[in-house]
Amino acid sequence: MSLEKEQKVVELVKASFEDAEAEVQRERRVKVWVKPNRVFPLVAYLKGHGFNHFVAISAVDWIKDGEIELVYHLWSYSEKVHVMIKTRIPRDNGSMPTLKPLFNQAETYERDIHEFFGVYFEGNEKLDREFILEDWDGPPPMRKDFDTRLFSAEFYDQEDLESEALRLKIQPYKGHLRK
Amino acid sequence: MTKEKAPKGIKGWAQGRSLWMLHFCTGCGAIEMPPTMTSRYDMERFGITPMATPRQADLLLITGYLTVKTLKRVVRSYEQMPDPKYVIGFGSCTVNGGMYWDSYNTIKRLDLYIPVDLYIAGCMPRPEAIIDSFTELIKGIKEGRFDGWIRYRENIEFYKRNQAMVMDIRKWSLDTELAERIWNEVQEERKKRFERATVPHVYELAERIPEGLPK
Repeated sequence: MSLEKEQKVVELVKASFEDAEAEVQRERRVKVWVKPNRVFPLVAYLKGHGFNHFVAISAVDWIKDGEIELVYHLWSYSEKVHVMIKTRIPRDNGSMPTLKPLFNQAETYERDIHEFFGVYFEGNEKLDREFILEDWDGPPPMRKDFDTRLFSAEFYDQEDLESEALRLKIQPYKGHLRK
Repeated sequence: MTKEKAPKGIKGWAQGRSLWMLHFCTGCGAIEMPPTMTSRYDMERFGITPMATPRQADLLLITGYLTVKTLKRVVRSYEQMPDPKYVIGFGSCTVNGGMYWDSYNTIKRLDLYIPVDLYIAGCMPRPEAIIDSFTELIKGIKEGRFDGWIRYRENIEFYKRNQAMVMDIRKWSLDTELAERIWNEVQEERKKRFERATVPHVYELAERIPEGLPK
């Protein structure tokens, strides 16, 4: 199987972004590592070269390195190549410029990542508005140092409530079991 | 004052024969409802039919896991339904959390938040199980066994307190005065639980990051 069109995309990236590490991952899949401040120009550059479908932004919490990895997915309908632009920002007080001027839909993904990973996107005005989590007072729940099991046990476990429910005799009806 | 009781006898028989089910689908159990409604299992032969608004419904079916966000809407819908009203908890998620038992945002036991009359166990329960619960419900209503709305009214403090532990009840209760009072009461305990729960705890998973990743 030839990887010609993928190689062409790698060369396209390397032609203008010397500091980027671009490689072909497999057929129709190209991976690019860049510095956080180079993401916006790279996405703008690729948008100008036919990568006009902005698929998603995803985030990975690398707690040992103290970094959060952001992955920007782009797809080209003409080339039929998926480009992943990966970058890493610090976990604490990390921030990224928003991609909203390039792709409007980036706003939604940024709000999502802001809520679940605590990453700040500069220039996104809707970031402070509630998106998925309502009335959430805790830390961002998708971070690795957030103990969802402990949190769940504290808030939704019911041993004390169960005995209270028994005392009040408000258990659901169990008559059909006695037959 | 005599204790309020669920209707039985001819009143209960009539009540059980014309249940309108609130068409409120939560979680994955909603996928079992279309076959139950349509010609294959046809729940309308029991007089049960889906209804669009809570103010005209008698029966609330919780078809799966409830996130806190959905629970708010469920509580609001439940309170809007007129008496007598019945609740069926559907699937393992409403019984003990099911596969979402350690999720940060789903409640585990439904009957701590709203009164449940019947539970259907299973993941997923088949339409046969739903039909079985409907027949049990109709039989029970006739005998006056199901009195969820009376339990809710009599133990409103207990239910509101539990709801307030996980959600802001001031926005989602019909009785705003009571909600305001109970919300203020639980603030301290809520805060304490948040503090206990947010102790940094690093999973073992974090130790297994492969070395030599490009930065």
